[in-house]
Amino acid sequence: MRFTKAETVEEALHAMAAGARPIAGGSDLMVAARQGKSPLPESIVAIDRIPALSRMDADERGMRIGAAVSHAQLEVDPRIVADYTALADAAALVGSPATRHVGTIGGNIMNSSPAMDTGAPLVVLDGRVELRSLDRTRQIDISEMWTGPGQSVAAVDELCTAILLPERAPRSGSGYVRLEYRRAMEIAVVGAAASVTLAPDGDLLAAISVALTAVAPTIVSVEIPKEAIGRPVDDDLLDRIAVAASERAQPISDVRASARYRKHIVGVMARRAAASAFGRARGETIGVPLNRTAGIGAP
Amino acid sequence: MVISESRPFLRADGPDKVTGSGRYVADISLTGMAAAKFKYAGMAHGRITKLDLEAARSIPGVYAVLTHKDVPDVRFGAIPDRKLFASDVVRFEGEVVAAVAAIDAATAARAVEAIVVEYEPLPIVDDLEAALDENSPLVHESWADYDADHVVRDRNVASFSSIERGDVEAGMAEADLVVTSRFEADASHAVPIEPRGILAQWEGDRVTIWSSTQVPFQARAGVCETLGLATNKVRIIVPHLGGGFGGKCGFHFEAHVAALARAVRRPVKLVFTREEEFVAPDRRREGMTIDVTSGIRRDGTLVARRGRMLLDNGAYTADADFFPQLAAMHLAGPYKIPNVLIESSLVYTNRQPSGSVRAPTAPQACWALEAHTDELADAVGMDPVAFRRLNAIDSGSVGVVGQTYGEIGLQQCINAAVEEIEYGSDLPPDEAVGVAIGWWPSFPGPSGVYIKIDDDGAGQIITGAQECGTGAVMTIPHIVADELGMQPGDFELIYQDTGAAPYDVGATGSQTLLNNGRAALAGARELARQLKELAAEHLEASTEDIVLQSGEASVVGSPASSVSIVELAAIAADNNLLLAHGSSEVIETPPLVGSTCVGDQGVAAWSAPQFSCHAVRVRLDRDTGVVRVLEVSTAHDSGTIINPLGATGQVEGGVLMGIGQALTEGTRYDEDGRQLNAGLLEYKLQTIADAPTIATRFIEIDTPDAGPHGAKGLAEAPNVATAGAIANAIAKLVGHPIRRLPMTAERVWETL
Ligand SMILES: Cc1cc2nc3c(=O)[nH]c(=O)nc-3n(C[C@H](O)[C@H](O)[C@H](O)COP(=O)(O)OP(=O)(O)OC[C@H]3O[C@@H](n4cnc5c(N)ncnc54)[C@H](O)[C@@H]3O)c2cc1C
Repeated sequence: MRFTKAETVEEALHAMAAGARPIAGGSDLMVAARQGKSPLPESIVAIDRIPALSRMDADERGMRIGAAVSHAQLEVDPRIVADYTALADAAALVGSPATRHVGTIGGNIMNSSPAMDTGAPLVVLDGRVELRSLDRTRQIDISEMWTGPGQSVAAVDELCTAILLPERAPRSGSGYVRLEYRRAMEIAVVGAAASVTLAPDGDLLAAISVALTAVAPTIVSVEIPKEAIGRPVDDDLLDRIAVAASERAQPISDVRASARYRKHIVGVMARRAAASAFGRARGETIGVPLNRTAGIGAP
Repeated sequence: MVISESRPFLRADGPDKVTGSGRYVADISLTGMAAAKFKYAGMAHGRITKLDLEAARSIPGVYAVLTHKDVPDVRFGAIPDRKLFASDVVRFEGEVVAAVAAIDAATAARAVEAIVVEYEPLPIVDDLEAALDENSPLVHESWADYDADHVVRDRNVASFSSIERGDVEAGMAEADLVVTSRFEADASHAVPIEPRGILAQWEGDRVTIWSSTQVPFQARAGVCETLGLATNKVRIIVPHLGGGFGGKCGFHFEAHVAALARAVRRPVKLVFTREEEFVAPDRRREGMTIDVTSGIRRDGTLVARRGRMLLDNGAYTADADFFPQLAAMHLAGPYKIPNVLIESSLVYTNRQPSGSVRAPTAPQACWALEAHTDELADAVGMDPVAFRRLNAIDSGSVGVVGQTYGEIGLQQCINAAVEEIEYGSDLPPDEAVGVAIGWWPSFPGPSGVYIKIDDDGAGQIITGAQECGTGAVMTIPHIVADELGMQPGDFELIYQDTGAAPYDVGATGSQTLLNNGRAALAGARELARQLKELAAEHLEASTEDIVLQSGEASVVGSPASSVSIVELAAIAADNNLLLAHGSSEVIETPPLVGSTCVGDQGVAAWSAPQFSCHAVRVRLDRDTGVVRVLEVSTAHDSGTIINPLGATGQVEGGVLMGIGQALTEGTRYDEDGRQLNAGLLEYKLQTIADAPTIATRFIEIDTPDAGPHGAKGLAEAPNVATAGAIANAIAKLVGHPIRRLPMTAERVWETL
C-alpha cells in the first residue's frame, strides 16, 4: 500500500492521476474497509492538510466551502448558521463530536450515500460542486451529482475541491431535520431539507424547494406544485408538502424501519423542515440543529 | 457508611483506565504468539454432512485446525447439553465447528474461509409457542439422555418451574374484576465495550489463560471439566476487564484457545470482533412471552394472579436453568397476593443461548407486570401509585411465596421516587410520568481474601473477587482500612488471578461486595486482632484495650501510649507475620412457607431482597412515535450504602441500560434464525447524549443476614424497573400499553 500526504491541490491531483484515492477524514473510507465493505485502496493520498481545501470564503456571490472543511467547522460558522442554516442543522447531527471533527463535507458528498446528512441541504440551497482533475476543472449542480448508492458522476481522478453556495435571496430560510432513535452515533433513517423564500412584502411564498434523505437510491428533490407559489405558508400548504414528500419517496424495509413507516415519516420530516424554513425566512430564531428545537422529542 | 465525603472513594483502577495505561487481554503479546479464529455454523439448524479441513490446513502459516475430534468428548452447561465443538448437529448460527491457529489473524481468517462444511438443513425452531407443540421438531433429539435431574423438563422445554399459593380458581371467582394482558419481549444483549479476548500459554502441563471473563473461577472450572485438568493446572488471569454486564459470565472459549495452544505449542490469542461478541457467547438476554391475569376487588385489593411465561433458552442451557423460577417471581412481583399460580418454561430454540445478563429475566418480566399493574389500577379507577401503595409488600408482609419480609424499604422507595419527580403536577400534553416498582434477591455465597502487611507497613489484599467495572472490588481496600485504622491507599489489590487468590464466584449476581466484602471484613478483623496482640505486648497493655486509629495502635484512655502500625509491621516481619485470611460465612436461604414450587431452583425465597421504585417522565413525539426520556427519579433499598459514589453510578448505569432495553435495543432475526443487527450501528444502545436527568435516593436499612455492615447487592437492581416505568408513561400518552419490548418508535407509532 502507498500513502502520500499532499500539501497542495496540485500534488493531490498528480497522485490521483497516478491512481491514488483521496482520504480526507477517513471516517467513511476506514470504517468501510474495517467492516469489509470495500478494501482500502492500494494507493491513498491524504488531502486533509491542504490549506486551500480547509477554507471557507464568502463574497457577494455567495460562499465557497473547501472540500476538507469539517462538520465541526460548519455547525458553528456564523455565515452558515445565518444564511445556509439547513447545512448547519445537518452538520451538527453527524455522528458524535469526534466524527464531526474528522469528517468533512467533501467526504460526505463524495461517499455518495443516500443517507448522507449534508446532501439534502446542499440540494435545496442550490449548491454546486467543483471537481478538478489534472486536465480540467468543472462545476456541476449538486442535484446531478449522484447516480446511485455510492455512485456519482465524478471520475476516479477528480478531486472535489469546493462546494459553492449561491448568495441567498432576502427573506429566505432553510432547515434540515431527520428521524433519529438516539441523539448521537445515529444514521439518518429518513430526513428532509427545505428552503423557503418569501415575497418581499408579506409572508407569501416566492420559492420553495424540498429534498429527501435516505428514501431512495440517492438524495431526491420533491416537486412542489406550482400553485404553491404566491400562497401563504399555512397548514394546508405544509400538509401538501408532506403528501408530496411521501409520494416521492421510494423507501425500502430493513432493520431500521419498514417502508410504510419511512413513507409516513418522510412527510413529517418534510413538513417540519418546511415549517422551520418558513419561520427562519420570517426572521424567527429557531436554534441549530433543528432536531433539538423543532424535531424529534425536542428539546 | 465506610466511604464518606471526609474519606472519599479512591478508585484504584481509575487512573489506569482513564489514561489508557491499563492493559486488556487484546493488548498482551507473547513471543511466538499465534492468532485464533473460529469457524461458526452460520446457520441455525443443520446436520453436518461433510467437514473438510484439508484446504485450510495446507495454507502456509496455518498451524492447526481443531474440531470435536481433538478434544475430550465432554458435555457441559447447567443442563449438560453442549460440547466445545459441534460434532453432528449445529443448533445456532454462532456454534463453533472448528478453531484455527495461524501465524496472524489474516491467515487464520483465510483458513476459516477455506474450511468446507456442508449441512443437511433441519427445520428451525424459533417460535416459542410452536416449540411446545408435540409435533414440533426437537432442538435436542436426545434431550432425555442429558444428565439433569435437578430440572423438570420435557422435549423442547429445558426447564419448567411454577409458583403456587392458595387457590387461584377460588381467588379469581372471588374477584370483582379480572384483567388479562399479554406481552412479548425481544431478546437483547449485554454489549460490553470490550469485545472479549483470550490468550493461552502452556508451560509443561500447566496452562495460564488471560481472559476477559467476569468469573475467573467459573472459567477455570469450565476448562478443567472440558479438557480434563485439575484446578491447580489451570490459572486464569484477568487483566483489566472492559465491562461485562453478564455477557462475560460463565465459561466460554477459554478451553478452545487452551486446546489450540497445546496443539501448536505456542501461545495463542483470540480476540473477538464486535459481530462475534453479539453472535457467539451464550449470554444473551432471553426473549419472553408473558400472559398474566389478575383478579382484584373493587377497592383495588389484589386477590389472585395467574401467569404463563415462555422464555427463549436458545440452543443450549448456559446457566438459564433457574430462569423460569426467577421470571415467575418477577411476574408475581413484590405484592401481597393470596392466590397465585405462575407457570414458567424455558424453551429450546435454534437461537443463540440465553444467559445471565444483568438481572436476568427481571427487566422484561417487571416491564410486563408493571404495565399490567397500571391496567389493573385503571380498571378500578385508582391512581397507579395508590394502587401500588395498597398492594405492595411492606416490613412484616407476607409475599407471594409465603416469605415474611423483615424490615424493608419498598413503600419508602415509592414515596421517595414519586416525591422527587413531583408526581401529579401539571405537564404539557405530550409528557407523562410513569412509575414502576421492582425487586431483586441478594445471592450469598462463598468468597475469600488474604490480607497481609509487610515489613514497611504496606498492605496487600489478595482477593478472588473480579472487578467488572462496578467498583465493588475497589471498595474492598476501604472496608479493610476502616477496620485497621489505616488508609485505603495503604493497600494494593492483587486480584483477578485464580493462581494467587482464594475462591470467589466472580462478578455475577450483584454479589461482590455482598460476599467478598464480608470476607474482607472477616480478614481485616483477624488482622486487627494480630495487630492488637502485638501492640498489647509492645505497650504492655491488655489486647482488649488496644484501639487502631490513624495508623496507630494505642491504649484506650491513654493516647500517649501508642505505637505506629509501621513499627508493628517491622516487628512482625521478624516474628509472626501479619497475615490473615477471611471467608464469607454461610447465610441460609429463607424457607418457602405455604407455597409450592414445581421445579424449584432455590430462587423463590430470597435472602436480603432489594427493592426499588423508578419514576420516569417522558415526552412523546406523536407524529413519529419517538419517545424521549427526560427525567428519571429512582429510589433503592439496597441496605446500608457503603460507597455512595459507586452506588449512584450503578443506579445511573442501570437506568441508562434500562432505557435502551425499553426503547431502542432488541435483537432482530431473519427467517433463517440469524441476527440482523449484530453491530453497534443497528443495535441501538443509548449514548451519553441521550442520558436524562437521573436523581437517586437510597433508603438505607441496616439489613441482617446481608453483606458487610448491613449492605445488600446493588449492581442488578437498578436495571429492573426502568422499562416498566417508561411503559407506563407511554401508556398514559397513547391510551394503552405497548405490548412489545423494545417499545421502538415504529411500534409506538403503529398503535397510534
Ligand atoms: C461513527 C460515525 C458516525 C457517522 N455519522 C454520520 C452522520 O450522522 N451523518 C452522515 O452523513 N455521515 C455520518 N458518518 C459518515 C462520515 O463521517 C461522513 O460521511 C463524513 O462526512 C465523511 O467525511 P471524511 O472526510 O471522513 O471522508 P473519507 O472517509 O475521507 O472519504 C469518504 C469517501 O470520499 C472520498 N473523498 C473524500 N474527500 C474527497 C474529495 N475531496 N474529493 C474526492 N473524493 C473524496 C474518499 O476517497 C472516500 O471514497 C459517520 C461516520 C462514522 C464513523
